[in-house]
Amino acid sequence: MNSLGNIRTRATLLVLLFALLSISFYAEAADKDNCLMCHKYRFLGRIDESGKRINYNVSENLYDHTVHRNVSCRECHPYINKIPHDPVKEQVNCANLCHLTTPFSKERFSHERIIEVYKKSAHAPQPGDSAQLKEAKPNCKFCHLNPMYTRVSEERIDYHESLNRCLNCHQEKGVTQAYKHITHRLRHKTSRSPQEIVALCAKCHQNVELMKELNVSKRGITAVETYKQSIHGKSVTLGSEVAADCISCHASNKLHDIYKKDDRRATVEKKNLNKTCSQCHARTNSWFVQVAVHPSTEREDNPIVFFVNLSLSLALYGTVFGLVGLMLLEIFGRRKGGIKFLLRNGTSWRGKPKPKEKKTK
Amino acid sequence: MSISSDTAAAGEEIAATDDYFTHVEGVGDIPRDIYKYVKSDPSGDLPRYSMHIVIQHFLVSTTFLVLAATGLALHFADVFWAPYLIALFGGADTARFIHRIAAYIMIFTSVYHIVTITAGSIQKILKNEFDYKRTQIPTPKDLFDLIHDVKYFLGIEPFRPKMEKFSYKQKLHYLAIIWGTIVLSVAGMALLFPDIIAKIFPEVMFKLRPQAPANGGFPALFQDLARLMHADEAVMALIVLAFWHLANVHIVPGRFPFQWTFLTGRITREHQIEEHFLEYIRNLEEMPEEREYMGNLLKEKQSEISQKMPVSSLQKPAEKGAVDVSTPETQEN
Repeated sequence: MNSLGNIRTRATLLVLLFALLSISFYAEAADKDNCLMCHKYRFLGRIDESGKRINYNVSENLYDHTVHRNVSCRECHPYINKIPHDPVKEQVNCANLCHLTTPFSKERFSHERIIEVYKKSAHAPQPGDSAQLKEAKPNCKFCHLNPMYTRVSEERIDYHESLNRCLNCHQEKGVTQAYKHITHRLRHKTSRSPQEIVALCAKCHQNVELMKELNVSKRGITAVETYKQSIHGKSVTLGSEVAADCISCHASNKLHDIYKKDDRRATVEKKNLNKTCSQCHARTNSWFVQVAVHPSTEREDNPIVFFVNLSLSLALYGTVFGLVGLMLLEIFGRRKGGIKFLLRNGTSWRGKPKPKEKKTK
Repeated sequence: MSISSDTAAAGEEIAATDDYFTHVEGVGDIPRDIYKYVKSDPSGDLPRYSMHIVIQHFLVSTTFLVLAATGLALHFADVFWAPYLIALFGGADTARFIHRIAAYIMIFTSVYHIVTITAGSIQKILKNEFDYKRTQIPTPKDLFDLIHDVKYFLGIEPFRPKMEKFSYKQKLHYLAIIWGTIVLSVAGMALLFPDIIAKIFPEVMFKLRPQAPANGGFPALFQDLARLMHADEAVMALIVLAFWHLANVHIVPGRFPFQWTFLTGRITREHQIEEHFLEYIRNLEEMPEEREYMGNLLKEKQSEISQKMPVSSLQKPAEKGAVDVSTPETQEN
């Protein structure tokens, strides 16, 4: 027992040591140009010609917990060529080819394909848009803030056994990561939780002033509000993992192909609704797709529902106040008749009724 | 039926004023306010509900509490207490599952109830014992009872109305439960199986009125109404049960702090006589031991009752009139 304990302690220490070493290992790999030598200082920054203050600090600790932790600085910032750097004129382009290679095709990785999908969608600046609208539309970095979202817990699918089969041929390091990446994405449409998706979309779509400035339709302005009144929205608000969030209905598996609802390509276009709803509702039909997913009980949108709602609430108050009033009257009347609250010694009618006492005085 | 307001024994004068005495064969003349003199066991003296009804009440009340707790949290999802309540049931998805299971149990209980009362009624009809007055079927008398009772509470009438096994309040509540169960079940099914319900109802409508446009918006309207009514009915049911039903059975004088009827199926003697007088008369006919008890009580209290009661019953309206001369209503009475 004693020797076993010793072995265990030693093994734990060894694992801890290895873990500590591997933490520093990541940062070194990403920072092969040693950018952090300067950029680790918290007040590294400058004030540009227009008086804008820019911070160039990179927190190593934070960066190690992002999805890009294995990508070195100059993969995204290739315009940095010398020290001291030239004034930066370019912006980071997410369609850049990185030096990361995919384990299967040995191609250099790029976000180019998903950017092509995004460029066609309603969220990309289109030639016909006003300057204000172009300004307001979100680019990659607006939504993708780079952190790790939902924690990957692969125990639910038989992770170890299926991965072991891959390891018969593939090297462990590359394939483990690839396998995790794929299986994780297979289970959920997005790596963010439904709550995070709703919060992300609501950031702009719930901003009524911004939406009004951009001449969004009334249904568009109230979209988040009406969604939150729906059963999907209420369930998601309370932490449901299965109820539909914005992306579930408004995008296909390409995730970025969000179009206006009248667009032929939109998942919420009338002809595509059957397919979209059937993702969850197996028995969908032409009648079912007419049901409002963003229900409104306002008078101008839905007068019948508005008046039913009004009459039901009136009935509620009428019933409750009427019945409780009757009960209070009953207590008053029966108390006057001489009844006591407690049934004691076999009777609640102890003592004389109150009116009689008054008369005897 | 030997129930009669035979007041001849009590004297001509009393008979002229009101039906104060009720004559029961083999017991004697029972004064209306005999409930003030009887002995009652808090756990109940007289049978009221069968074991089936007690079980049904238990199932309905427990499932209702579960349904209300999960349903309220799901409906008022954005209110601050909702996440805590939902966490108690293991998250939104689990809470929805529990809500459905409780709903199935409640619907099962409703079916169980219908089977019980139908079978019981058929049994009674075959034995030729069925009396609609002892059931929940509303009658015009209930409306008059309500008016009479309000008059008593206001001090206009000297005694409460002589009511059947189920009083006007209980019949109203029963009707509300029937309506609520139907609405909540249908609307709940529309929420649980929106795809099926959206197909069934409009297709029936479409077959009835083929000339109506296919895109009449009816599925959307039906679903909207289902959402609305499921929540509103449930909130109304909860408020009525919490503030009216619970107060009526456990808080009002004579029942405080707890009435055991819903567990024992038995009602106290003073409660039965006060609020269900006609049912008590039937109890007297059916139960020899109760007849004996009442006969003994009447003999024992004879002096007290014969001296005090007729006098007070005669004087009460007169005195009331004298006290409240200012109000014209009492003069009419």
